[in-house]
Amino acid sequence: MGKAVLIIDDSTTMRKIVNRSLRQAGLEFDTVLEAGDGQEAIDLLASQKPDIILSDINMPNMDGIEFLKTKAADASIKDIPVVMVTTEGGSEDMVEQSMSLGASGCVKKPFTPDQVNEVLGPLL
Amino acid sequence: MDFTEKIVEVAKEIFETMVMVDVTAGTPLDEHVSRFECSLSAMVGFAGFKQGNLSIHAPDKVARGLTQDFLGMEVEEINEDVEDAMGELANMLAGSLKPFISENGGKVELSLPSVVHGEEYTLTVVNKADWVLVPFTVAHGDFLVGLELKKQS
Repeated sequence: MGKAVLIIDDSTTMRKIVNRSLRQAGLEFDTVLEAGDGQEAIDLLASQKPDIILSDINMPNMDGIEFLKTKAADASIKDIPVVMVTTEGGSEDMVEQSMSLGASGCVKKPFTPDQVNEVLGPLL
Repeated sequence: MDFTEKIVEVAKEIFETMVMVDVTAGTPLDEHVSRFECSLSAMVGFAGFKQGNLSIHAPDKVARGLTQDFLGMEVEEINEDVEDAMGELANMLAGSLKPFISENGGKVELSLPSVVHGEEYTLTVVNKADWVLVPFTVAHGDFLVGLELKKQS
């Protein structure tokens, strides 16, 4: 069965940009799932189990921090690795909080394909 | 204020790694430009220890071209994708410049990006602000990156 990724971001444009970055890094997924916030992602994860999740931190409704907390409490999805996608100069506090809540890594924009590979490669 | 070198450095990094386009910097403008026609401006504000904003001003054609390159898909008109992509570019530029703007340890926060697009509009400089406007050239044409910082009282 092919690999699947879930991209969580409230901007459809950013989801397209992240998806393009994955392809540029040579990470081809057979299935690309998308969610507009943490709650949409939790709902989607009830029926779909991607191999990896890439999540924005600042989102309306349920942000990346709350998503990590909710995911950690659900035995059926808690082991799916999550990589946070943030911007250089963004809130370091939230990145640290994400890592302490079980995020597997973080990529900061601007990133090169090699940097994406370095973080995501070992998790796949 | 001499942020020109840093603006050129971070802009080249962002456009060459994320958008995958070659970008050439020109000489910073001597006179401030505030009136734009058939263009799109994306801005991110700085608040806290330093106040001001980072902006990108691009003619429609250039904004569409950069978005096409950024997203890897055709863009026919100025739409939500173009606004979001240009806003994200402004966000990355502001984020990368933040460490240099907040030197001396003062905390600086970034606003969410805002975008203006229209046939004709004017953006006025923050009162008593230092500014720099650097022109850049890509295959689609020319655009400006601006930085305005309120003078410390």
